[in-house]
Amino acid sequence: MSRRTIALTCAFFAGSLFGQSVIMNSPGRKPAFAIRNATIYPVTSAPIANGTIVFDKGVITAVGANVAIPAGATVIDGTGLSVYPGLIDSGAQVGLTEISSVPGSVDTAELGDINPNARAEVALNPHSNVIPVTRVNGITTVVVEPEGGVVSGSSALVNLAGWTPAEMTLKAPLAMHIHFPRLRTGGFDDQPQDEEAEKEAKKNYTKSIDKLRDTFRDAQAYAKAAAARKGDTTVKRFDRDLVLEALQPVVEGRVPVVMHANLERDIRAALKFAGEFKLKVILADAEDVARVIPDLKSRGIPVILGPILALPTHEDDPYDLLFTNAKALYDAGVPFAIQSADAHNARNLPYHAAACAAFGLPKDAALKSITINPAQIFGVADRVGSLEVGKLANVIVTDGDPLEIVTHVKRLFIGGEDIPLDSYHTLLYEKFSKRP
Amino acid sequence: MRNARHPERSEGSQPRGRRILRCFVAALLSMTGGAIAENVIAIRDATILTVTNGKIEHGTVLIRGSKIAAVGPNASVAVPAGAQVIDAAGKFVLPGIIDTHSHTGVDGSVNEISLPNTGMVRIADVLTNEDVSAYRQLAGGTTTALVLHGSANPIGGQSQIVKWKWGHPVSEWPVAGAPRTIKFALGENPKSSNFRPPPGTPLQYPQTRMGVEEVIRKSFTDARDYMARWDEYEARRKRGETPLPPRRDLLMETMADILRGNIDVHSHCYRADEIMMLINLANEMGFKVREFQHVLEGYKVAREIAAHGAGGGTFIDWWGYKLEAYDAIPYNVALMERAGVVTSVNSDSDELARHLNQDAAKAMKYGGLTEDEALKLCTINPARQLRLDHRIGSIDVGKDADLAIWTGHPLSTYSRVESTFVEGEMVFDRQRDLQLRKDLAKEKADRLKKEADDEAKKKKDAAKKPEEKKDE
Amino acid sequence: MSRRSVCLVVLLLIAAPLCADAPGVYAITGGTVHPVSGAAIDKGVVVIRDGLIEAVGANLPIPPDATIIDAKGGHVYPGLIDAQTSLGFAAAAPRRRGFGGGGGGAAQPATPPPPETSPAFQAIREAKLSDDDVEAKRATGVTTILTVPASGIFNGQSAVLNLAEGSMESRVIRAGVTQQVSFSPRAAWTYPDSLMGVISYVKQSLLDAQQNAAALAIYTKNPAGNKRPDQSAAADALAAVLRRDVPVVFIADTELMMRRAMAIAKEFNLRYMLSGARQAYRMVNDLQSIPVLVSVKWPTAPASKEDKEEQPLRVIRDRQLAPTSPAALAKSGANFALVSGAAKTAEFIPGVRKAIENGLSADDALRATTLSPARILGIDRQLGTLEKGKIANVVVSDKPIFEEKAKVTRVFVDGRETKLPSEEEKAKRAEGATPAASPLDGTWSLSVKSAQGDVNITATLHVEDGRVTGTFSGDRGSGDIKSGSFDGTTVEFTISAKTDAESADWVFHGTVSGTAMSGSVSTNLGTFQFSGSKGQ
Repeated sequence: MSRRTIALTCAFFAGSLFGQSVIMNSPGRKPAFAIRNATIYPVTSAPIANGTIVFDKGVITAVGANVAIPAGATVIDGTGLSVYPGLIDSGAQVGLTEISSVPGSVDTAELGDINPNARAEVALNPHSNVIPVTRVNGITTVVVEPEGGVVSGSSALVNLAGWTPAEMTLKAPLAMHIHFPRLRTGGFDDQPQDEEAEKEAKKNYTKSIDKLRDTFRDAQAYAKAAAARKGDTTVKRFDRDLVLEALQPVVEGRVPVVMHANLERDIRAALKFAGEFKLKVILADAEDVARVIPDLKSRGIPVILGPILALPTHEDDPYDLLFTNAKALYDAGVPFAIQSADAHNARNLPYHAAACAAFGLPKDAALKSITINPAQIFGVADRVGSLEVGKLANVIVTDGDPLEIVTHVKRLFIGGEDIPLDSYHTLLYEKFSKRP
Repeated sequence: MRNARHPERSEGSQPRGRRILRCFVAALLSMTGGAIAENVIAIRDATILTVTNGKIEHGTVLIRGSKIAAVGPNASVAVPAGAQVIDAAGKFVLPGIIDTHSHTGVDGSVNEISLPNTGMVRIADVLTNEDVSAYRQLAGGTTTALVLHGSANPIGGQSQIVKWKWGHPVSEWPVAGAPRTIKFALGENPKSSNFRPPPGTPLQYPQTRMGVEEVIRKSFTDARDYMARWDEYEARRKRGETPLPPRRDLLMETMADILRGNIDVHSHCYRADEIMMLINLANEMGFKVREFQHVLEGYKVAREIAAHGAGGGTFIDWWGYKLEAYDAIPYNVALMERAGVVTSVNSDSDELARHLNQDAAKAMKYGGLTEDEALKLCTINPARQLRLDHRIGSIDVGKDADLAIWTGHPLSTYSRVESTFVEGEMVFDRQRDLQLRKDLAKEKADRLKKEADDEAKKKKDAAKKPEEKKDE
Repeated sequence: MSRRSVCLVVLLLIAAPLCADAPGVYAITGGTVHPVSGAAIDKGVVVIRDGLIEAVGANLPIPPDATIIDAKGGHVYPGLIDAQTSLGFAAAAPRRRGFGGGGGGAAQPATPPPPETSPAFQAIREAKLSDDDVEAKRATGVTTILTVPASGIFNGQSAVLNLAEGSMESRVIRAGVTQQVSFSPRAAWTYPDSLMGVISYVKQSLLDAQQNAAALAIYTKNPAGNKRPDQSAAADALAAVLRRDVPVVFIADTELMMRRAMAIAKEFNLRYMLSGARQAYRMVNDLQSIPVLVSVKWPTAPASKEDKEEQPLRVIRDRQLAPTSPAALAKSGANFALVSGAAKTAEFIPGVRKAIENGLSADDALRATTLSPARILGIDRQLGTLEKGKIANVVVSDKPIFEEKAKVTRVFVDGRETKLPSEEEKAKRAEGATPAASPLDGTWSLSVKSAQGDVNITATLHVEDGRVTGTFSGDRGSGDIKSGSFDGTTVEFTISAKTDAESADWVFHGTVSGTAMSGSVSTNLGTFQFSGSKGQ
């Protein structure tokens, strides 16, 4: 048993509170590492057999077949192993929730419909046990997003290592998340038509859309006034409105909106709304995405799919609807990424991508959907998403294809720091393996 | 989606005359060897994962009727004339996956919440064959399930082992001769920790794990009294007396049947201490726990579970959704297996039930199970837990022809199911499914168009009438 | 004569016109008579005397004391029998599905709660039939009903009533005709709150009744030394069912539910019938020896095109095939009747008509609403046909009764002519069934409370198929309504509002209530409140 493990096990006994992980966080040091003789998958270029990757001070400095290894670098022998970029989850609640049934530990959804000023990075718990559980399967970077209500708040792109939220956060606000109101008048099943309830549902739906529209109109007006006053202080002063202020970059097109809509009529209504306010929009969830591909193409709207391992809503939909959407988008040339839309099992992200590959998506496209694609869609491709010189050293070393379940992650680097492969789960495993 | 059977056919819909003729013809044919009418299918040149006898590469499975007639390397299996031959080169054959925790195919609520012990209610009374989730599970290679009452009560209700015989009348879904089973539940759910009755309705006992134990203890104690009352009644009758008959109580009869060993107990549980509680209570009251389900902390008391002889049916990586699930680890399966517990992976989810092969693979990743051990988790092990391992759970001669043909190894995430057989009948086939989608879309469009046309015609006729009246 | 007897005579003379219908002899002539017991009779005659049918035929001698009812050009039928209603009982509140929009918290209008039922519940005692209910039902041609509450699990003992004017006592044909079971789970947390719980509950109740009957039999012979068994009206009622003295009506619509009911009946060897039977078309061969009451409350399609397309094919197919059940049953020779079930009074005849449109012959439809229900309920010696000696329930209509524009013109119950509601009353009752002109149509004077003060706009709006069109004029220029929608209460429409500087879209969102409209309008300068009213 390594000394580290003993230390950790003692710490574990000594007082592990739920949600206050005793797993060692990032070491705070970013020395030089070189992994050599491995098969390297940069993602944005062809795989390199017997390749070497070098990173130092948190940044990738060299990738290739014949690469000089700097003196003093810790050398890792990658014989028989593979090196991939750290995987990116395009939508999850990792760090925002600990035990779903315990409200005190859940910070995913604020009360009310309109919360653009709710920011995910504010509630992010760097010591959540969910974080190590997720990263030990190779997911290094997550779009942590609020949910709930209609305008849920803004997401943050975070690395899953750091002592404070600020240390983890790569970009915030990343996007504004809107869960577009859903028109559900029923008629799905063989219950008799309940006209009263249907009318009521329609009324509530219209009210929600109205409220959303009014908010955005107000935000536009506010943004106009704020911009005017900024340029000319003689413009009459007005009291600040934090809610509308949070929407200012959104209505000005500087921060994209992730529009969550699932079924066709909701997607269409949501895209119409986005067009009305000239929002920079990314479509998410989108079970019925295949039906709106022409619109997406003509308007250049990317898509976040997931969870893929999910059932179609409608009885008549093909059993593989969720599995085949990625291929449809791929064939149409619409950019897409994949999310787990989970917290405790965000670690299964690669298997959602693999499910798409089982139903027609080329394997390398599946890998891209959880690496470079989200980086591009969210405008952070200069920093993450592939193994390229200059990018952050988010690197995983595996004994196989990370999209296969049986593969193990052997080494994990986030921001160039060597992250231990311990988690609450590995600790419990070790503890109970040793029951005499 | 549906298979080739006429979607509206249900039992008895064939005219009686035609049925008699069929029986006669079948009898005639069976006398002559039945070669033409009987279902004979040869799946050729696949990698056969028998589960009990290792892997056969370039192998053939011969199905005759509803059974597996032969398994072996291609050369060793003769394909009879007239057999339907499926070329499965490059493909894999796995026994139909068995899910020991399902709520698919239930009409109405899965829970009878109202009382702590509702053991008299029966899933068998409310099965439906119209839940498309069953079909979608076939598309994932799952063929058999234990359909359960929910976990709202310490003793919930009698469950039912079924096969997803899509297209058949629901009366054919329950597995004939399968053991009777009952659902127990321990922990947060039966003590209503996470859901409350509406205001105005009082809280229901039990509210602690102590009360959960008491409910089960009392139920069995009452059952013994019930059995004694009936014994006394029978004894008095034998003596020629005419005593008043005791009340026949469906709940007490159920509890009595558990004590007589006629009903297997499958218990939902989470925490290690409540697992121990039930083991101790079972020993004390004189019954056995057949299988602990969820059993997310099973790894903490794996040897005690093994000593009791109970199996463990768990989902491998769900955790953190309740406090009692916080210590759930994916290594649970490996630790229980190593302690000698017959372990399976199950779903408790219409969605997860479609890819239990992947949960089995996770036990290789988390805990180092071998490929053979992993495959057992979703096939022969759950079959053993359901006492049906003589019929299902592996590709062996004489067993039911429940199996699926996969495009690749089932433990690879890149594989998918091409066809699924239940008792020799192809109840799912991807190619057929692709065609059925088109048929469905066409029928739907035609029917909606007919309705729209009829509406329009009615409107036109209604508009015409007043004019006609004017002419009169 | 003593003063007292004088008073008595005077009282009697006053009272007499109130209870006598002079003289009670009618001859209905000139119409096509449909006796149901035989072929239709052209220009037939039906003679009624003292509440009973005296004669039916062609070219009959007409009694000199008979009042002639001229039915020339019309049709004469036995009064229809509706063998499944809950007339006189409050309906159970519809179970709301959980919609995303949130239907659960809506305030329900105060309606009387449905009655608590048990096997001992007696419909004959508890039914509260209002005059309106009875008149409306009779106006459709139905003169005899079976009624029992639709709420609860054991709904109780039904009553068969003539829809005569007068007291309940005078209406009774038979009480306690059937025991009814509907598989409705109770509210959550009250046993049984699931379908499987209901099935177990029904079985246990029957077992308890069996045990109780056996115990009572023994106890009665030999009370000494035995604990006295409980005695209850509920147990007695179920004992009658177990003895096969009283049949059980199981309310079951789907094939699955019908088969579950059949299994229970088989287990306890009950006499029974199935009511509802929407999916009878799927299992006609298994319904050969069971009376089936097919409800004509056919499933309807949702209003919007999108909702229709989102429905599963299974539901669409069932909706289209359900009305073929009666024809399928008729073809197979099954014993069935057509009943209201959950249908409202006004839906009964249209429902029967739909069955005819789907293959049932008019003759079979008539039989299914007269002689068949009479036989099934065991009252066919009194009702169900126009034959001598039977109760004079007779209905005259101007056209064949199931045709679309047919009107019931005369109704006789127990040989007395009964009042039919006037056209006005009918229209009042039917309002809501026919859509009036949209409440949005018309010219609206709207006032917007903007930051710069009140802005007045006049808008003339018209709605068709949910889309709003029209024109506007006023303080912000004039023009056409750009686009808009209206769903019955909520309206949205957009205009291109002009100021000196520019024109911008103003989007109105409002609710319409009568001749008033109010809401908010979104503009490029912000969102403002508006209100308005309709001119004419």
